[in-house]
Amino acid sequence: MIELEERNLEKKSFFKRLILIYFFFAVLFVIFFYKIYSLQVAGFTDYASASLKNKTRDVLLQPARGIIYDRKGNILINNVPSYSLIIKPWKVESLDKFILSIGEIISLNEKELNYVNENFKKKAAYNRELTIKTNLSAEEIARFEVRSYKYPNAFIDVRYSRQSKYPNLFSHAIGYVGGVSDEQLSKILSDQELKKIETIYKYSNGFLTGKTGMEHTYDNLLRGSFGKKTYEVDAAGRFLRELEHIPATNGSNLFTTLDLKSQKTALNQMNNRRGAVVAIEISTGAIVTYLSSPSFSVNDIARGISTKDFDIMLKDKDKPFFDRAGQGRYSPASTIKPLIGLFGIQEKIIDWNFTINDPGFFILPEDQRIYRGWKKGGHGTINLSDALIQSSNTFFFSLAYESNIDKLINYLSEFGFGKNICLDCFNSDKGLLPSPEWKMNNLNFRWFKGDTVNLGVGQGYLSATPIQLSYYSAFLANKGSLNKLSFIKADNLGYEELINSRITDSDWDKLHASMIGVIEDPKGTARRLKSLKSYIVAAKSGTVELVSTDTKEDYQIVRENKGNRDHAIIIAFGPMPNPKYAVSVVIENGESGGSVAGPVAIEVLNSLIKK
Amino acid sequence: MKKKLNFKRFSIYFDPYLFIAISLLSIMGLIFLYSASQGDINTIAKQSAFVGLGLFLMFLLSQPDPDFYNTFSGVFLIFSLILIFITMIFGKEINGAKRWLDLGIFTLQSSEIIKISLPIFLSSYLYNKPLPISPVHTFLTLTLIGFTFLLVARQPDLGTALVVLMAGVYILFLAGLSWKFIGTSFGLLLLSLPFLWNNFLEPFQRQRIQTLFNPTADPYGAGWNITQSKIAIGSGGVDGKGYQEGSQAHLDFLPEAETDFIFAVIAEEFGFVGVCILLSIFFFILLRCLYLAFNARDRFCRLTIGGLSLVFASTLFINLSMVAGIIPVVGMPLPFVSKGGSSLLSFYIAFGIIISMATHKKLMQR
Repeated sequence: MIELEERNLEKKSFFKRLILIYFFFAVLFVIFFYKIYSLQVAGFTDYASASLKNKTRDVLLQPARGIIYDRKGNILINNVPSYSLIIKPWKVESLDKFILSIGEIISLNEKELNYVNENFKKKAAYNRELTIKTNLSAEEIARFEVRSYKYPNAFIDVRYSRQSKYPNLFSHAIGYVGGVSDEQLSKILSDQELKKIETIYKYSNGFLTGKTGMEHTYDNLLRGSFGKKTYEVDAAGRFLRELEHIPATNGSNLFTTLDLKSQKTALNQMNNRRGAVVAIEISTGAIVTYLSSPSFSVNDIARGISTKDFDIMLKDKDKPFFDRAGQGRYSPASTIKPLIGLFGIQEKIIDWNFTINDPGFFILPEDQRIYRGWKKGGHGTINLSDALIQSSNTFFFSLAYESNIDKLINYLSEFGFGKNICLDCFNSDKGLLPSPEWKMNNLNFRWFKGDTVNLGVGQGYLSATPIQLSYYSAFLANKGSLNKLSFIKADNLGYEELINSRITDSDWDKLHASMIGVIEDPKGTARRLKSLKSYIVAAKSGTVELVSTDTKEDYQIVRENKGNRDHAIIIAFGPMPNPKYAVSVVIENGESGGSVAGPVAIEVLNSLIKK
Repeated sequence: MKKKLNFKRFSIYFDPYLFIAISLLSIMGLIFLYSASQGDINTIAKQSAFVGLGLFLMFLLSQPDPDFYNTFSGVFLIFSLILIFITMIFGKEINGAKRWLDLGIFTLQSSEIIKISLPIFLSSYLYNKPLPISPVHTFLTLTLIGFTFLLVARQPDLGTALVVLMAGVYILFLAGLSWKFIGTSFGLLLLSLPFLWNNFLEPFQRQRIQTLFNPTADPYGAGWNITQSKIAIGSGGVDGKGYQEGSQAHLDFLPEAETDFIFAVIAEEFGFVGVCILLSIFFFILLRCLYLAFNARDRFCRLTIGGLSLVFASTLFINLSMVAGIIPVVGMPLPFVSKGGSSLLSFYIAFGIIISMATHKKLMQR
């Protein structure tokens, strides 16, 4: 037994030590209390949103894409409803029984059955819908609807897919739509401030974006905005109930300036030959015809073409996917001559009365190199007008020879060469406007006088796309001013004024008269077109030499290989004297601008002008 | 404060403060559990039965004189150790741990008993030893504590083992362990930490500790519990989401919502205000124990009250700290609130003994 004194000592020590431990717990308590305070009071907003994020899932709802019309209100591209049979797997007790029962109304093929069997359990586990058959027929829908009371676990829902009424007609102008890539989708969603959803959903709900053409350019407008359904989910990801439903906002319809009739004409006239047709409404800069040939069916692409078929189309030597109208680069050839002539007048190198004697060739004084015309023996004594009508090369060789290259390049640029002249063309090419700097940088050669001479007849390095040529054509028709080109009826987007407009109206009239002469004059290079129309058309044909030859006999050998034959090219506008439409046509390896490309241009003008 | 009611020949020993506080806590626990179990009537019925049994046991165990516990403390300890051995041989394996003994009507977690019997035995062993405790007694005591700790830790039940270890150490400390010894062993413990880390901890235990310092590294794996618990607590805000409105608990984001993480459910549904009320009840119980320890009749009673109340406090703070993400995840219930059988009953038993120690007075204080 311990003594009293010791007992008191013990008691004191016990109290001290117990207090010490309690103090230790008090410290712990303060730390804990601070932690709880920082979680619940200071961090409340963050944790509340984390909790909300935990328990909700958004499912996006597909908006209907805008309809695309032509300028007369014809529907070009529409959405077709596709009815799908969808089941709620978590409400299906026995899949086999269900399939047996539904099979009597809507038959499922092997592929569909496999899909259902593969995905049923997964979808059931997460309370998610499973699409078991798409593209139901009206009959199948009717059969299901009258018996729908028997299937509380299934329903028919509509999804929209894109369908062109003229699948081959606007393949490059309007383009096609396709599924969304992951990156695109997250961007679209972040624009709308919606949560990114799981991969399964984005394709099953048929999200589409424009891949090419106007479908791409005006995607934001056409797309509309996604709606969403917000579901409450548990930790396993099961959908428990719907919390919120925001309907989708459908995309805006697009009223284009395209003309169905002229487009059809262009397609028929091209008849699958390689080339392009572009027509412009001069007063507005509106693109009314935009065709690249050969074309392809956008509906095939939208429906999901097989990789094999797609490969075949990609490897097709005619390259149907290639947009020749906006991306094909062609030398303007003789169609450049009106511009060169105007340049000569403006720079006072020549006037309308100035003549030369055309022996059929031009000798470059520097190195005695011979530049030939297309007609053996030449055109005799000719002025600018004759040179345009008969397409004399010698006249323009010598005019170009006298020209200042920098001023000439600047002048070409004012007519749209080497520039983007279209506001809403998909991936359009700027062509190539060469310059001494360009040549030095890219080819490591200085600019020769011969390069300038070649430029005079639109050969050499200069190249332009058919859309640029149509702009150039309309620009000439409208006497040096033009809206930038566009596919939609936008308000006036500003005229591209000719900066140095020393070209007088009388000069323009004389130029137009000369270009009319190309068709109307007995010596005109496109005189064969005269009978194809009932009004006056101004034009300039061109023939793009792919292989340089000195004689007609040499060319006969060259043309054995079809790919080496000259390209046929023409620009035209009418009806004169107040032209409404301008057109450009390129036919690859078509050989003659006047007689091969010419009729296409005239028929397209006819379809636009004749009511 | 003692309450001694005379019914002719019988005396009834009873502490109204502890009894009311613990009953209140038990009832609140049932209400919380109803929500945490998502309205599962079976769970509530079972828990209610345990609470009833527990309160009865508490009352019953308050009646014997402390001398009874003193005399039989060795028997209790040996009985508890035998139970642990039986568990090791015949125990039911759940989630890779052999902690439960199937007794037919309920499964007994044997380690819950030893966390009470060990401190009582140590109090009984040390209460008449002169101060400071001699090296021999210290050594013997530590050997017993270490042995028990290893037994429980092997099950493996690190949480309870730690509580057992602490309970032993508390008694030794309160009984008057020399400061020199404390300082030396603490230094040695610090030095041996890396060794313990590598050789003693199970891989999943190591991972839990690592997760604590970087829970976002693997939010869906090891960090899930802590992350979801913090979200539940934080999203409760000041006034909570409302009873049975806690989405973290009700949509199964919160793991172990009925047992170890029930505090997170309370915090989510009743907010900061609810947390403060709950904590104040726990706080009151602890302060009452401190008061009772100070007024106990002798050294044995003092040591027992101190030891058992500290076991309670340790369990409470380990649970709270774990749920708040302050310490790693260890299996530890919230006393009187978490769903459970053995762990729940053990605290009623502990408080029954505490009340016995506090209310029995000798005619003349020694």
